[in-house]
Amino acid sequence: MDTILELEQLSVKYGKETALTIGQPIRILEGDRIGVIGSNGAGKSTLIKSVLGLVPYEGTIKTTLQPWQIATHMQFNEYTTNMPVKYIMEGILDTRIAKNEHLQELIRYFEFEECLKKRYHHLSGGQKQRLTIIMVMMQNAPLTFYDEVTSGLDFETRQRLVEKLLSWYRDKDGAVLMVSHYYEELQQFADKLLILDQGHVLDFGKKKDLFDKYCGNAVLVVDHTPENARLLSEYPKLISPAHLLSISCENAQKEAEIVKLLIEHDVNYKRSNEDIEMIYVNAKAAYEAQKEEEKNARA
Amino acid sequence: MPVRKTISKSLILYEIRNVLGNPYIWIFGVGFPIFFMFLMPTAVTRGMTDASIIRMVTTSLFLSIGALIPMANMLMGYGISCAQEMEKGVPQRLELFGISRKMTLCNRAISEGIFFVLSFLLYGLIGMLGLKLEAPAAIGVMYYAVCMLLFGIICFAMGHGIACLLRKFSLTYCVMMILYFGFMVCSGMMGISYEDMPKAMKAVANLIPVTYITKDFYTVWTGKSYNFMPMIQSYLFLGAVAGIVLFAGMKRK
Repeated sequence: MDTILELEQLSVKYGKETALTIGQPIRILEGDRIGVIGSNGAGKSTLIKSVLGLVPYEGTIKTTLQPWQIATHMQFNEYTTNMPVKYIMEGILDTRIAKNEHLQELIRYFEFEECLKKRYHHLSGGQKQRLTIIMVMMQNAPLTFYDEVTSGLDFETRQRLVEKLLSWYRDKDGAVLMVSHYYEELQQFADKLLILDQGHVLDFGKKKDLFDKYCGNAVLVVDHTPENARLLSEYPKLISPAHLLSISCENAQKEAEIVKLLIEHDVNYKRSNEDIEMIYVNAKAAYEAQKEEEKNARA
Repeated sequence: MPVRKTISKSLILYEIRNVLGNPYIWIFGVGFPIFFMFLMPTAVTRGMTDASIIRMVTTSLFLSIGALIPMANMLMGYGISCAQEMEKGVPQRLELFGISRKMTLCNRAISEGIFFVLSFLLYGLIGMLGLKLEAPAAIGVMYYAVCMLLFGIICFAMGHGIACLLRKFSLTYCVMMILYFGFMVCSGMMGISYEDMPKAMKAVANLIPVTYITKDFYTVWTGKSYNFMPMIQSYLFLGAVAGIVLFAGMKRK
């Protein structure tokens, strides 16, 4: 697979504050589906803006692509309200809807026909997102960024939109980098994860590899009750929300043993071997522990 | 994705639709001049009996009110709309689709120019049909068209420059209103004629091309001899100011 984008020793500052630091190289390859996760202020949008040249940065961004050759759905996308969106589409994409079958197909695919005559400020949140998505997809770019494409949408609209995105990109060669706070979306979409926290890269790699690294072979999750805590006291636990107990299974044999125990005691459980929230929480904990160790070593 | 041409039919059409959907241009650039074209001569010539004087006053007012069109279309209408789009991040969004700011500016200038010419033709046509105007000399019409076109270009450059410098709708709206009404007051359109102005105000009025259109263009329109030098100097001055504002605006990151 060819490298489309490589980031190395990158630093972005807003005034005196460092918004993003990337040390080790991050390579985005052709066909990659990368999910970018991290809390607010982690540097997710800054990462996209630096690649597009919208913010000044120091370091290396290697790519043969010009910013306009990268299709981008920004967190906020605004258009003129002086004309119906049909004409915005035609002007921006340099085409006529009536003559462009590919565009017609996308409009149908995203059920956008009835919105074409509306002005941008009369569209709902979901319709606004779909307008940009259609135009972004029409670019058919080798690299596409989606920055919080489903934020502000209700559950049902979000689900529908993600399903559409998933099936659209299923057989496409271009790389896609999707920033999202909704891990279940990335669960379906991403095969790699870039984990950011407060402007630092916690880790980058294949979803399964990161799960193995931070969570083990599989994780079994049960309710955090005193009985369950006693029952599972001897097994290694992962960081998880207070109302849950997450047990790390280092191999299939260990997993079978714990499952047997849970069944014997009639305990409900959930199993996962790629839970993104689990990866994020434990990667963050590992990073903080490492920082603490380094601090203690210096002291 | 292919590289787009700087000027393209689709972008000109897009920008023309953008201009047509701009309410400020319709209100201030089309409606106001036509409304004032009928209102002012009626008010000013009330009580006059000499038909030739009425015709002269009406023609003079028709010519000076026409100068509202470049100010309203290119300075205020365009400047406000431009700042509004900048505040929302529309030009940046277009850049991400491969439409550079240079492309937007070029296509917008063409579309604004087309609308400007059409609104002038409409103003002229309604004026010719609805008012009793002095028959112009061909050279007078040509001078008027050139002066208005040049003034329109200056207004466009100034409107774009101010919008780029301020980048906020509210602030730009405020500055444009001050300039629009300031130009009208200083050029003698708002009741105080050039001759009645205090010395300091006269000095400012001398620097604005509209002043000469308001007070002298009847002479040019009818083909009589006219000393263009002060007017040319005012064009050069305002053109230089507009150029500096445009340069500063476009350099602003």
